[in-house]
Amino acid sequence: MTTYTKEEVLLQARGLSLSYDNACILRDVNFSIRDIVRPGLQQGQVVSLIGRSGIGKTQLFRVLSGLQKPGAGSVTIRQRLAARTVPVSLCTEHPVQPGDMGVVFQNYYQFGWRTVRQSLLLAARQNKALGCTEKDAIEAYAARFELSGVLHQYPQQLSGGQQQRVSIIQQLLKGSDFLLLDEPFSGLDVCVLDKVAELLVQVSLSDELKTLIIVSHDIDTTVSISDTVFILGKEAGKPGSTITREIDLIGRGLAWQKDVRKEKAFADTIAEIRGCL
Amino acid sequence: MVLLQVTLTLLLWQSGAGGLIPAPTKIAAALGHLLTTRLLSDNILVSLLLTGQAMFWSILITLGFAYLSVIPFFSSIAQFIVKCRYLTLTGLIFIFTLLTRDGSQLKLSLLVAGIVPFFTTSFLSVIVNIPKQEFELCQTLGYSRWQSLYEVIIVGKADQVFEILRQNFAISWMMITMVEGLSMSEGGIGTLLIRYNKYNDLTNVIALQMVIFGIGLCFDYLLGTLRRWLFPYTKL
Repeated sequence: MTTYTKEEVLLQARGLSLSYDNACILRDVNFSIRDIVRPGLQQGQVVSLIGRSGIGKTQLFRVLSGLQKPGAGSVTIRQRLAARTVPVSLCTEHPVQPGDMGVVFQNYYQFGWRTVRQSLLLAARQNKALGCTEKDAIEAYAARFELSGVLHQYPQQLSGGQQQRVSIIQQLLKGSDFLLLDEPFSGLDVCVLDKVAELLVQVSLSDELKTLIIVSHDIDTTVSISDTVFILGKEAGKPGSTITREIDLIGRGLAWQKDVRKEKAFADTIAEIRGCL
Repeated sequence: MVLLQVTLTLLLWQSGAGGLIPAPTKIAAALGHLLTTRLLSDNILVSLLLTGQAMFWSILITLGFAYLSVIPFFSSIAQFIVKCRYLTLTGLIFIFTLLTRDGSQLKLSLLVAGIVPFFTTSFLSVIVNIPKQEFELCQTLGYSRWQSLYEVIIVGKADQVFEILRQNFAISWMMITMVEGLSMSEGGIGTLLIRYNKYNDLTNVIALQMVIFGIGLCFDYLLGTLRRWLFPYTKL
């Protein structure tokens, strides 16, 4: 049995609601993400937000990232700012603002007029913790993510997988503890899919407070790398979508395992999630 | 293909020419003569300098209003400038004469007034069509409003400013002949054209039109090449 504890709340969504043209999209969304501590490990958090197409996942994604103000409710986060040595318990909670979270859009949008190196440098310069080591950090990330050979190229010259990795590195260089990913597995072939999943696991293990929130409808892949699943769905007779279910994958012994997909409990959990949608 | 089309046109023209319409051979001879005189080169230089000055000021004014158009107060002014495309300058020449010191300033101000509405129209359409995601990416990187404006509009759209410049060079080059006719003392290719026109020297008029057309095409090519060199991503 894996030893772990759940400590401080890193993100708290309270009573989130969102409407467009009097149509309720999100209603009373409440959930929290806590810091998972495993002795001797830098264990980050990987949370997946699963729901059917058109249920409001992208709207919730935008609210969580601070790009969209909710009609009601709030999203608060607790994160270290410049000094990464400060314990999270000493950091104050504050409402999320645009720029607080790293955001990787579904189409991996990048500035078309900047080379990969320039784009990464723009992000790294926003990260005060890097000091004057931005260029070294870029080289290190590029090597780790197999992008050293394309640093001088423009986004239009990259493959979809390379663009995705550039987007992820860009947001990591910015230095945010939170990384929101909108459909990171869509449109990828099977081989690349596993690589991207492995990459996200690596990212989550890079820092104790690194928290990945994956919005996806690819249930198998997303759940295989997550520690917690939130299901966004509708409740009978009520308008809008809300969190209808929280599944603790650690409690079920399904988190942090490389070959988790081979386990019967995993297949049962996937079936259970599908049943909730 | 193009060569064949041009040859066919010239042959048709040559066979149909006569009376008042000069034949291509006569125009070629006049063009050859013009090219050997200093008269043409001096006047071309005057016109190019005036066009260059007009382009410079027009870009400055356009960029100023276009960048400021994100602020509501300047937005309505920019919209008014766009509508000024429908104003004809002919009736306003007297007012411009009163407002300027000399013929040189009059020509420059008329050119600028003629170009700016077209520049502003083109550039505002570029700004309006900026994808929301470009600003959102700036937001996710923690940029301030001014940083976003600099990155997305100033740096990100620099190539399109250059393209607008290239497209609108044609307008200023077309207007040069009109404004140079207003103050002929300084010369210019427009002055030369009006003089030949006055004496109904159609051979030289068409030869001069060829020169104006050729210079326009050269600048179009030059600015296009320069854009691809300065902004290599536009080739992708």
